[in-house]
Amino acid sequence: MINSSVYVPRILPELESFTPGHRACVGCGEVLALRLAFKAIGRDAIVANATGCMEIIASQLPYTNWKVPWIHTLFENTAAVASGIEAGLKAKMRKGHLPRRDTRVVAIAGDGGTADIGFQALSGALERGHNFLYICFDNEGYMNTGIQRSSATPYGATTTTSPAGKQSIGQFTWKKDMPGIAVAHNIPYVATACPSYPVDLIDKVKKGVETKGPAYIHIFSGCPTGWGCASDLTIKLGRLAVETGAFPIYEVENGRYTVNITPEKLKPVKDYMKPQRRFRHLTEDAVKEIEKRLREEYHKLLEKAECQS
Amino acid sequence: MVTFKIDGKEIKAKEGQTVLDAATENNIEIPTLCVNESVLPYGACRLCMVDVTKGKRKRTVTSCAYEVAEGIEVDTKSEKVIKIRRMVIELLLARCPESEEIRQMAEKLGVTTTRFKPDEDGDACILCALCTRACREVVGKSAISLINRGTEREAALPFYDEADDCIACGSCVYICPTGAIKMEDKAGTRTISWPNCSQEFKLKACSACGFYFAPEKQLEFMAAESGVELEKLEICMSCRP
Repeated sequence: MINSSVYVPRILPELESFTPGHRACVGCGEVLALRLAFKAIGRDAIVANATGCMEIIASQLPYTNWKVPWIHTLFENTAAVASGIEAGLKAKMRKGHLPRRDTRVVAIAGDGGTADIGFQALSGALERGHNFLYICFDNEGYMNTGIQRSSATPYGATTTTSPAGKQSIGQFTWKKDMPGIAVAHNIPYVATACPSYPVDLIDKVKKGVETKGPAYIHIFSGCPTGWGCASDLTIKLGRLAVETGAFPIYEVENGRYTVNITPEKLKPVKDYMKPQRRFRHLTEDAVKEIEKRLREEYHKLLEKAECQS
Repeated sequence: MVTFKIDGKEIKAKEGQTVLDAATENNIEIPTLCVNESVLPYGACRLCMVDVTKGKRKRTVTSCAYEVAEGIEVDTKSEKVIKIRRMVIELLLARCPESEEIRQMAEKLGVTTTRFKPDEDGDACILCALCTRACREVVGKSAISLINRGTEREAALPFYDEADDCIACGSCVYICPTGAIKMEDKAGTRTISWPNCSQEFKLKACSACGFYFAPEKQLEFMAAESGVELEKLEICMSCRP
């Protein structure tokens, strides 16, 4: 449902478990993604939230933006806490302390809390097969603490801990393929999404929470503060990331790949990089190198989707 | 505010709210297939039946269309209600044996097989009329409707092939609870297939980048409705300034 603007959004659920009045930056793509995701998750959910932007902006004592039970966890144990909640609910329901019903357990974390610090707990929880949904909001760095690099930062981006200069191109490693790692755990549902395609995102989160067993959704969310772009460009950059092949949108159901958005011709990566300050230092050759590698990865993905269908 | 009881629990609800809404707000689960908050209640699927005691009188009603009232007592899990729900889902299972959504709902209600002879036409429509209601109430068109009577009843275009009113927006596809309506975009054409008819529509290519982004008729309808010039609408989201 990619080409479904104007009328389809009118029949989306009105309920929002994440309320307005939070303290996110102007133009934050992450909080938009969070809002859309909780349209799909509904009100019967328990959330484990790692340290990060989404925790900071929504929980300044004595206020909260959450209408659902919410627990703040450390960076490293979000998935562990979520699996504990799930196991606890299961035990309580079995013993008859709670009525049997379909309470959704959701863990949310940023890319740092997922790909770096919370990685071990996540891998464990996925492997144990708990019935929960893990959402990673990927803004490609530790934006909350002042723009440090994470393993999800793309090659060539400058951050405060990977500064570009005479000796350095900025981030010197390639972005870690987190969805790929989740797929490798053989879990029933893995998807990538972007708030620039809201209906697609809501559909995927809905599929994720309804999956029996662990589900992992990687949401690419723009960060004007960390990326150094104008705050009205978040949505556009999300679209450009997909259209240039920098962040392909796909889902993997029981090992079967489907690429949801396949532009007939990929746009040049330069279009995506130009509005962002973090890529400003890159020379044309460097951009071409990056483009080449991105194209390769994209075609690899297309092949995976083709050989299975 | 109105105070009443659901399953012995006293709850408060706004006046004019339906029993189903009030129950959902209080985390009391009532199964349903034909409810969407953007369209008016219709009471088609009969899965949300509940017992309502008002004074001395007890009735079994659809909770999606029954307004809350002071002092009523609602029972969402009585023996009679559960029996009705199981019967309904068994009939639906026989009607659309291949539908994954119906099977999941049946599982939730503790039903795995049906004693009735399954339909063989492979269509997953349960006649909930969400599609026709969305078309009329959300889009403001009435391109599809429920036609015929009794066992012949189905959701279709007028005379199965007149799509003059359809703007190909895809709302009916998205709202369908069982995936009975399908849509495919391919090489500038959008095909929408209702259970017994299908129609092709032309997509508009973005005037800046050439990406096929919306049906032509939808853009024309939007231009006529809003008074915005058609050329301004013919640019896709990515190319819009």
